[in-house]
Amino acid sequence: MRMRTRAAYGFLTPYLLIFAAFWVWPIVYSFYLSFLATRIQPWRFNPGMTWGRLVVDPAFANALKNTLIILVIQVPVMIALATLLAVLLNSQLLRARGIMRFAFFAPVVVGEAAYAAVFRLMFNADFGVVNKLITGIGLPRVDWFASPTAAMALIIMAVTWRWVGYNAIIILSGLQAIPNDVYEAATLDRVSKPRQFFFITLPLLKPIILFCVVLSVIGTMQLFAEPFLITNRGGPGGATETLGLFLYRQGFTVLNFGYASAVAYTIAALAIFISLVNLWIGRSPK
Amino acid sequence: MAGVTLRNVVKRFGSFEVIHGADLEVEDGEFVVFVGPSGCGKSTLLRMIAGLEDISDGEIAIGGTVVNDVEPADRGTAMVFQSYALYPHMTVEKNLSFGLRMNGNDKADTARRVERAAKILRIEELLDRRPGQLSGGQRQRVAIGRAIVRDPEVFLFDEPLSNLDAELRVQMRVEIARLHAELGVTMVYVTHDQVEAMTLADRIVVLRDGRIEQIGRPLDLYDDPANRFVAGFVGSPKMNFMAAEVVGAENGSVTVALTNQGGARLTVPAKNGFAAGDKLTVGLRPEHFGGAGEGDCELSVKVDVAEHLGSTSYVYANTASGEQLVIEREESRSEIGVEHLTVSIPAARTYLFDASGARLR
Repeated sequence: MRMRTRAAYGFLTPYLLIFAAFWVWPIVYSFYLSFLATRIQPWRFNPGMTWGRLVVDPAFANALKNTLIILVIQVPVMIALATLLAVLLNSQLLRARGIMRFAFFAPVVVGEAAYAAVFRLMFNADFGVVNKLITGIGLPRVDWFASPTAAMALIIMAVTWRWVGYNAIIILSGLQAIPNDVYEAATLDRVSKPRQFFFITLPLLKPIILFCVVLSVIGTMQLFAEPFLITNRGGPGGATETLGLFLYRQGFTVLNFGYASAVAYTIAALAIFISLVNLWIGRSPK
Repeated sequence: MAGVTLRNVVKRFGSFEVIHGADLEVEDGEFVVFVGPSGCGKSTLLRMIAGLEDISDGEIAIGGTVVNDVEPADRGTAMVFQSYALYPHMTVEKNLSFGLRMNGNDKADTARRVERAAKILRIEELLDRRPGQLSGGQRQRVAIGRAIVRDPEVFLFDEPLSNLDAELRVQMRVEIARLHAELGVTMVYVTHDQVEAMTLADRIVVLRDGRIEQIGRPLDLYDDPANRFVAGFVGSPKMNFMAAEVVGAENGSVTVALTNQGGARLTVPAKNGFAAGDKLTVGLRPEHFGGAGEGDCELSVKVDVAEHLGSTSYVYANTASGEQLVIEREESRSEIGVEHLTVSIPAARTYLFDASGARLR
């Protein structure tokens, strides 16, 4: 090894040791754990109790189903809203654009516990402002925390509210990278504004939107705080229990570390798989 | 086919006026070049013709029709942008046909127009590529092609060659001249490069600070500039300007002393009434200096730098006087290393300007 290389590795060693101990080892160890039956001491190799159980466990199937429902509805709705919001925030007609941009980004800054508390108050069946508005226009009262469908809708709305501005800001950066003269050329080509949006803006934003979709997929696959805090630990009756919450129960409540590890690996694998599918669908033609 | 008419055209951004009433008549089929330094308003004027900027006051007519309130796409113009403004996600073929396709143009006709434009610009083999896979020159051709498929009555070029390297610029300049000859349509071209203006234009419009300084054929501007600005802007290297003071005036001529050039005296034919003590500027193009004894006034100059280009040389002299002279010399190999030079000024080749820069004749 050359002297310079050796010196470089010398400087890197402290970091690499910490990296190996706190990053590589937990990943490898949890993978090993995922093959152990950990309910009874001593832990034994028994993948049937972890990976095998995944296939037959109705609670896991329920969490997976809930997560996928949220994913399939929330991610497209949020990305579409974020794109519209970005266009709006980019508009020359909009006053106080800086303040508006911050306002829509602000939910990310607010603590999860605080915003969950506000949502619980707003959606309270008896005195929440949302039900007051709904009954005010003559619609029936919704019991947001007791109805499975309403609770799921509430989770989707909450997650969308929290992350739409964040994604809009990312998409806005993509919008601002599109040179104005491309639109001027299209105007001279007699292409209307809506068509400019669909035929120029959207295709040029595709890489950014794809990036936001992948981020959102990863986030939704790990969704935990909202069902835990807003709908009372995945209530009513597990109707909003997500994979993240299910993992938490196995790891922290039941203390079944082997099974929790298998669930964690499944979540990561699913997130990677869905992201790859997204990237494949959105790939640029050769 | 159509000409373009500008009548007292004014442009204001808020309360800030950038074009102060421009009048211009571009003939049908003419190649007119707007030239001027950065910020003179030439691009703004072009964008107003295209309809990309509103007109604050005055009137623009294309083909005899006032287009002040006509949509950009309906003006019969096509524009080539400095940055090309190609659609980066579309192939060359799609870039060329996009406008036609969006407007429901007949497919066969679209294909025919794209083919024709590609043939004119020799980009047939590039049709399946994307802008990112093209060189600067190729992109510029595609941008011009996109204008051609629209079959416009007026082509507008906004500094189309400024992003190209020097060699390619010369090549594309020839291409654009060929295109104009081939299509025979009206072209309005913006540039800050006076060489481009001189080589391409039927007529040049020189702009400064939002005002048209002079309109004329390239050599007319060169030979007969209306003021000191035009005299300095047209021609490369630029005209020499020497401070002068009137020492005597007779009927039909004026005698001046060149203040910064050792007080050399020169009698110039002029009709204006002059009085002794009047401050003037004498202009002389670098190529019009004569050899010793050839002109009407001799100057002994100190050579600072000499650039020998083979067939000609440019001598930069008398820098220390604060009034540098650029002298063009023919074959001057014998003068390499020479420190002092005697040159002469032919009075008939000089231009006189008053303190405000207006030409005195």
